[in-house]
Amino acid sequence: MRTGEDQLRAWMVGGLDGSAADHAALLRALVPLLRAFYRRRAHGGEDDIEDLVQETLIAVHTRRATYDRGRPFRAWLFAIARYKMIDHFRRGHRLVAVDGLEDMLVAEDFVEASHARMDVEGLLETLPPKQAAAIRSTRIDGHSVAETAAAAGIGESDVKVSVHRGLKALFARVQGERP
Amino acid sequence: MNTDRLIEQLARDVPPVSRHPVMRRIAIGLLGGALVSAALMIIFMGVRPDLGAAMRGGAFWMKWGYVLSISLLAAGATLKLARPDTGGIRWLWLLAVPVVLLAGFGIAEMLRAPQAMWLSMWLGHSWKTCPWRVLALAAPIFIGLLWSFRRLAPTRLRAAGAAAGLASGAFAAMVYCLHCPEVSAIFVLTWYSLGILLAATIGALLGPRLLRW
Repeated sequence: MRTGEDQLRAWMVGGLDGSAADHAALLRALVPLLRAFYRRRAHGGEDDIEDLVQETLIAVHTRRATYDRGRPFRAWLFAIARYKMIDHFRRGHRLVAVDGLEDMLVAEDFVEASHARMDVEGLLETLPPKQAAAIRSTRIDGHSVAETAAAAGIGESDVKVSVHRGLKALFARVQGERP
Repeated sequence: MNTDRLIEQLARDVPPVSRHPVMRRIAIGLLGGALVSAALMIIFMGVRPDLGAAMRGGAFWMKWGYVLSISLLAAGATLKLARPDTGGIRWLWLLAVPVVLLAGFGIAEMLRAPQAMWLSMWLGHSWKTCPWRVLALAAPIFIGLLWSFRRLAPTRLRAAGAAAGLASGAFAAMVYCLHCPEVSAIFVLTWYSLGILLAATIGALLGPRLLRW
């Protein structure tokens, strides 16, 4: 059951005037609202969601003076909920703040790693498709020979030979490119 | 902890909240900080000896009006950004009004003066220290605002920090006016504004770190 804006605001104003009953009614009514809000936005477990709900309830309580009686209640509530969500994920390192992203990518050699990856992809494209697929599966994606053979519907020895021939061709090509 | 128990505990402590608590808290932080700044200014720099006479002239009020209008706008923005649902702060373009007015005033003043004086009008006697002194006097006011923000709920921390820095700088400039004997508009436009901008920049840098809650 969702409580309407008018009722929420009436309880909020009651709480601001010092009514503990109104304040408790408000907080209880916020629980389903906040759970739904976070379930729609955060892909965490139920524990995470409940943590966020509780953090937001505490924030609503301790920062209630920042609610302006003349303004919509839900806008105020969800602004706090959004802020708490961003803060929560930032502290848990599960969500990276976008303004630090570039530094982090540079620091973790993301750029070089992705250049290397593009080189490999380019080289693989010069091979026959069967050899390229065998190398990609066993050497890049980390599958075993048996898994690769089963997935492609060919024999294990066929996979081994393809990998061997493909790698040999790649070595030749890479060494041929050197001055 | 169980959410129901949490609500029970929170609902045990519900004191009534006065009207306009956000405005009151920011006003206390700003004015408290400004008093400390004024005390520091009196002790370390001294009130200009001819303050009484200066207050009868136009130059003093030109300076004061400039920093006062910036102070009011910055305090308004700080007030807005102290709430989670900020609302627009597009009206901050109004900051351009005092800047343009003072620039017009400064140009008119220079056109009346001989060209040989322009450099000394611009640099005055204290261009090297003025921005730094404004910045130093802004520090206690910024600390006052940090105190205010401890019970408020900003959600755009960088913007809130910048607004608090701007307000601190502008209030500090009002305090500094009582010491500074410079009279030309172009001086105020450059060096006062530089000090205020430095304070706003530092506020923007510190905001995300210090205003989290």
